[in-house]
Amino acid sequence: MCGLCGVFLGEAHWTDAIVGAAGHGVRTRRHDRLHRVALANRILKQYGMKLSDWQGSAYLLAGQTGQTAIVSSVAAVWSQADRLRKQSIDPLDERLIEFLEQS
Amino acid sequence: MTSGNNLTPVNVLTGFLGSGKTTLLQRLLRSPRMGRTAVLINEFGEIGLDHLLVQQVDESVVLLQSGCICCSIRDDLKSALRGLLSRRERGEIPAFDRIVIETTGLADPGPILYTLLSEPVIRHHFELGNVITTVDVMNARLHLSRNREGIKQVAAADRLVLTKSDLAEPGQTEAVREELVRLNPAARLWDATHEPVDADFLLDVMPSAPAASPARYRLAIEGSRTRGDGAGEPDAANALRQHTEAVSSMSLILDRPMDWTAFGIWLSLLLNRHGDDVLRVKGILCVEGSDTPVFINGVQHIVHPPQHLERWPTPDRRSRIVFITRGIDQGRLRRSLEVFCRLQVAELAVA
Repeated sequence: MCGLCGVFLGEAHWTDAIVGAAGHGVRTRRHDRLHRVALANRILKQYGMKLSDWQGSAYLLAGQTGQTAIVSSVAAVWSQADRLRKQSIDPLDERLIEFLEQS
Repeated sequence: MTSGNNLTPVNVLTGFLGSGKTTLLQRLLRSPRMGRTAVLINEFGEIGLDHLLVQQVDESVVLLQSGCICCSIRDDLKSALRGLLSRRERGEIPAFDRIVIETTGLADPGPILYTLLSEPVIRHHFELGNVITTVDVMNARLHLSRNREGIKQVAAADRLVLTKSDLAEPGQTEAVREELVRLNPAARLWDATHEPVDADFLLDVMPSAPAASPARYRLAIEGSRTRGDGAGEPDAANALRQHTEAVSSMSLILDRPMDWTAFGIWLSLLLNRHGDDVLRVKGILCVEGSDTPVFINGVQHIVHPPQHLERWPTPDRRSRIVFITRGIDQGRLRRSLEVFCRLQVAELAVA
């Protein structure tokens, strides 16, 4: 647990593994997290949602109506986003694929 | 596979009822390589195992809050593994350097793998080795058509072991073999009846060199391997396929190195939405910034921690991924992955 903010630090999720180099070849955990947030936001933007890094230990997900949720990994972002939207995000959704192709 | 840790490998031996799991285990345990192996079995059958360390586990599943059956902890397995660990540490039992878990014929491999990969004590002392699935050639059609677990066992396999092929009619073994390659092209096949037992082949995660029999080591990941119309195929193969047609496999080759973060985002999103129907994901990835390939392996919602391999198994350095799915449009799956990968390139350009 973080003594400063009281957040329980869970076991690393497989998506958190630093494999290779993100961005311009800089392999730092901080850079990796920001890169992950930027990529996730490309998808979440389609649904009016936004993700941000929270103290380097979690992520803050903001929904369309201002609701927020703290999640521990990117994998947890999707299930939480589903709850906020009350509908599941489908990476195979033709509209999402087209949106990403054009963006 | 990178090793060099002190984790004890755990192999899962699964397969349909009466498909020869215990017989295979008996043969394997005679191998010198298996001399210091502990065995956990779900039920004692009629075939005796005169091995030093054999322990029975009872099946009890604790469902987690997520409610997903594959992401549930096998409480009995957790207790058995932690018990073995504790007794080994105290010197009460001989020091084993491998564990084989023989499941029941009706076991869903998901909770077993989830327990091994997620339970905090277990995952710091053990690592998951190959999943070995026995398939009885005589009854393959029956089991694949009647048991959802049968399909899951085949999909989860790293090694598929054909049994009772000496009793099969002409063409029957080949039909089963074809169907298994179609269902799980990432697994390697071994005919237990006609070939001598080879512990190295069954236990080594990634053999470094091809063996004398090319078919045995075939890694069939060239091109797409989706369900065809069956025209011109043997009747036995068509009959078997009718029962498994909802399940298909696809092998993707990606030319450009991929961003691991983008792949992780895509796969986690896919598993969140379609995890029940993504029976298996297995492949080696060419990742930006890494000279060596990254091995990815997942069964339904459960994904192994990614591992760096020491070297590329072939001169081809492109990413190769096998997906075994149920009822998913594979063309759309491919497009979705490709667009996520391209998204990464665009993102980097403006970063």
